[in-house]
Amino acid sequence: MTREEVDHDALTELFNIGLHRAAASLSDLTGQRIIVDLPRLWVCPIEETHAALIDLMEGDLATVHQIFRGSVTGDAVLVLDYEAAARLARLMTDDSVATQGRIDQSAREVLTEVGNVILSSCLSAFGDMLQVAVTFSVPRMRLESLEGMLRSLKVDDAELHHVLLAATRFRLTEGEVGGYLLIAVGMPSLSLITKALAARENA
Amino acid sequence: MTIEERLVSVDAETLPLLGELGELLELGVFTLDRDFVVRGWNGWLANASGLDAAALIGKSLFEHYPELRETRAAEALQRALAGATTVWAHRFHRFFLPLAAPQGYESFDRMQQSARIMPLMRDDVVEGVLVILQDVTERVAREEELNTALRRAEVGSQAKSDFLASMSHELRTPLSAIVGYMDLLEGEMVGAVAPLQRTYLGRVKSAAHHLISVIEEILSFSRVEAGKELIYLEAVEVAAIAREVEELFEPQALRKNIALRVSLPEGPLTIWTDATKLRQILINLVGNAMKFTDAGEVAMDVRVSDDRVYFRIRDTGPGIKESDLARIFDPFTQIDQSLKRTKGGTGLGLPVSLRLAHLLSGDLLVDSVASKGTTFTLWIPLDARPRPQ
Repeated sequence: MTREEVDHDALTELFNIGLHRAAASLSDLTGQRIIVDLPRLWVCPIEETHAALIDLMEGDLATVHQIFRGSVTGDAVLVLDYEAAARLARLMTDDSVATQGRIDQSAREVLTEVGNVILSSCLSAFGDMLQVAVTFSVPRMRLESLEGMLRSLKVDDAELHHVLLAATRFRLTEGEVGGYLLIAVGMPSLSLITKALAARENA
Repeated sequence: MTIEERLVSVDAETLPLLGELGELLELGVFTLDRDFVVRGWNGWLANASGLDAAALIGKSLFEHYPELRETRAAEALQRALAGATTVWAHRFHRFFLPLAAPQGYESFDRMQQSARIMPLMRDDVVEGVLVILQDVTERVAREEELNTALRRAEVGSQAKSDFLASMSHELRTPLSAIVGYMDLLEGEMVGAVAPLQRTYLGRVKSAAHHLISVIEEILSFSRVEAGKELIYLEAVEVAAIAREVEELFEPQALRKNIALRVSLPEGPLTIWTDATKLRQILINLVGNAMKFTDAGEVAMDVRVSDDRVYFRIRDTGPGIKESDLARIFDPFTQIDQSLKRTKGGTGLGLPVSLRLAHLLSGDLLVDSVASKGTTFTLWIPLDARPRPQ
């Protein structure tokens, strides 16, 4: 199995289904129209992720990790740079003068819930496609470096780890914020996803 | 296994421990089975709800809290049975369980909470739901106080700007009348003026003009601060504005015996900007340089680079200490208070210039070496018109 064998179009569609669900939940939650779209998707070995992200992210990162278990297992992370995360929290809550430009306790909670909605929606889309139940751990929000984030990824089902890396864009009434969705999986999970995608295409 | 994973696969023996740990950490912890029957209810929750564990365990959560039926809380519990963990941020939900607000925070109708709603796993099967609640009422009250204070400060600042604008306007009107009547007296329209009277009239007029210029500065600053300054874009000949400013300060340069030099790029240069505001910035900057320079020269160099025009105003005055540079754009600040007495001014010229530069989509930068002189660089776009979509 190589990353070239992964059907990018089918994978993009799967992410789009997940993000569409997430956007609907977030719109419902905040009372404002929110669109989350997916401008770009990569599949790369975990050791290439640093090089892929280093030019795209600056300084400290705000991340929300959620480990998932089931027929596919791995670690899903919403990755935003610090400023984007502070801005997203402010746009989502629409009124906070106090949290402007910084991530306080309330902003951390908001980002954890937003991350939870996004990650759960995308992982559920994978679960639905594979027709298996996927359970999720409690999400944890962290402020960390890119290196720290990559070191903390939890994938324990294989030696070869791959990352599905998706650029995301949150579009709200008052502005846009860009971020990344990173799903680290082992080889068996990636094979399962690839086979299921192929079967879906052929169906 | 990480702690996050352990939380969703707690075994029956560990659950009571989790409840007690929650109590130590002042967290509410309760568990439900697949039919939402309460299986665990820690002491913290018993205190907060007034419902004893013995009264609740074995009964449906919805029996005690019927208002939770068909709410987002019920949806989150259902999702947990399907294996999903849900996080509730206070900002979106306010509370999970309708508990009374803690003592001292009665202005809230309910205790403000953040929550984690998780599946309770056993042998890879969801056997119930684990909910952890945190009372965030105190924090929310603190944040609301801070937000109110910030909003009050903003309103106060706006009120100050409005007051300055209207007061400046009220002062300017009678001062214009004073200057007008001085002109009539000086022009001997109402009778002959003796030489000493003429001297005194000149002094009164000069003082009135100075007062008008101070009021103009305050008016301009308060207009910008109040967001009432509008931009009128037009085609502006840079050389014409630069020469205008030069001519305005030539008499002062001659009087002080310092050189005033203007250098322009070759050929005509037309830009799209607000001519009045550009003129005001340049007058402020050159005026400032003239005021603080007692020997040597004041030079204005104009050059174009990329899509910007740069105006560099350099003087050979006393310069500004590095430690003071950060404060020079603060309103009502003059670095050396002794200079304020000898040179006059409101300390608003530079703050107004900076704000006007931003209004013109440009910036104003300063570079200075103490005892060598100061250089202000103003840049504005060659064309500030909005680009067509």
